[in-house]
Amino acid sequence: VSCGMAGEEEFFLEEKRFKQYCEDLVKHSQQIGDGWEWRTRKDLGDGYLSKTHFQVRNRHTPPDLKEKNNDNNEQMLCAHVEEPLDDSQATGLCSTEEVVRYEYHVLYSSSYQVPVLYFRACFLDGRPLTLDEIWGSVHASYQARLQEGPWDTITQQEHPILGQPFFVLHPCRTNEFISAVLGGSPEHNRHTNYIILWLSTVGPVVGLNLPLSYAKLAPQESTDADLA
Amino acid sequence: MTDDKDVLRDVWFGRIPTCFTLYQDEITEREAEPYYLLLPRISYLTLVTDKVKKHFQKVMRQEEVSEIWFEYEGTPLKWHYPIGLLFDLHASNTALPWSITVHFKNFPEKDLLHCHSKDVIEAHFMACIKEADALKHKSQVINEMQKKDHKQLWMGLQNDKFEQFWAINRKLMEYPPEDNGFRYIPFRIYQATTERPFIQKLFRPIASGGQLHTLGDLLKDVCPSAITSEDGEQKTQVMIHGIEPMLETPIQWLSEHMSYPDNFLHISIIPRPTD
Repeated sequence: VSCGMAGEEEFFLEEKRFKQYCEDLVKHSQQIGDGWEWRTRKDLGDGYLSKTHFQVRNRHTPPDLKEKNNDNNEQMLCAHVEEPLDDSQATGLCSTEEVVRYEYHVLYSSSYQVPVLYFRACFLDGRPLTLDEIWGSVHASYQARLQEGPWDTITQQEHPILGQPFFVLHPCRTNEFISAVLGGSPEHNRHTNYIILWLSTVGPVVGLNLPLSYAKLAPQESTDADLA
Repeated sequence: MTDDKDVLRDVWFGRIPTCFTLYQDEITEREAEPYYLLLPRISYLTLVTDKVKKHFQKVMRQEEVSEIWFEYEGTPLKWHYPIGLLFDLHASNTALPWSITVHFKNFPEKDLLHCHSKDVIEAHFMACIKEADALKHKSQVINEMQKKDHKQLWMGLQNDKFEQFWAINRKLMEYPPEDNGFRYIPFRIYQATTERPFIQKLFRPIASGGQLHTLGDLLKDVCPSAITSEDGEQKTQVMIHGIEPMLETPIQWLSEHMSYPDNFLHISIIPRPTD
């Protein structure tokens, strides 16, 4: 199935609806203290969702056992346990705790008429994490999901509003999986928050989780007239 | 009257004489001579500067060399912008040759994308083409092409082969006979003075009554400050490929003839020189 083909099954997201869904997400986020906010730029009036959170990463440095075979490994481990140990060597592991600042932005792509997830991470001294370093903190099962998921790749791109490098999940096939998940008629789907649905699927792949309470958001009573 | 096809060639073969100088704080074993090169307007810095890299690496020790990056008067140059756009935006009203400073250390992580290989440039180039076709044709034309056609677009650019490139690109410039143009025009407007890197919006080339929208119509709609004259004077220039097209030019024509190989119209709004 190729991306972007026009068809009745395609459920494209209009920009006004995008803003409305984001507004609803932010309202709920404020209620539960989840940290999402809407940022606008005065010059053009467009905006984006933003969330920053800090995470402590444990970096474990295991003993260098790579060149030894299994027997030797056992001997090494036993040796570690039996020898008198001082505090820093108690477990044979060196763990460095580091604080990492993660930033997630949700922007609207008018070219593809879908939301797009931008993200970046840096240490407190400002040094940015590479994509590999970010991957290190993503659970293995989500790493597998990335390979089979409806996105071509994660690439580094310029943030269209801030002009700085971010990592981006390519939006090319977003509509494919959204349409598959939503199914049903557009009338019914108007009450489903597309952004919450989409973000709950793509977010965890890059370390971003949505608490379950978002799923219970009351459908908005807004009509087309409100959004016109 | 120049044939429209001549415009395609003039755009493709545009060149900017450039002088590359090594940053003074880079550590060298002997003095580094500047390197002169004619840069293709339609290409990307990291695609056409292998010779520049080799030239400076000859006077440096291996351990002093990491990812190359370029800077003009203190501003890191975004390699993912076409060269002609960078020049028009930052240096069009200065004396030639364009003086670019070359760095091999202290890569500005907050400003520039990394470019570890030619594959990264290819991926970026193809992503722009795909986005342009999403706007022009709902991606139908680009999706109907085979992988080898996509490859031919990239190889044409990489090897500076006009005919090879346009053999495929002409399909991206067609539209159904019942329409008078593309669905939306792929364009980006750049102003060095603003925080936002560029303006991009949905814009139709044909008005509801069937008239062709012009460059002036686009600017009025999307960036009115660019053309409103204060004191009756035009304080800015609207530049594409180093020239100022007339504001009456139909935007559909501009899109077909003056887009960059990525199929986008990259338009610079710059201060008008006051001499």
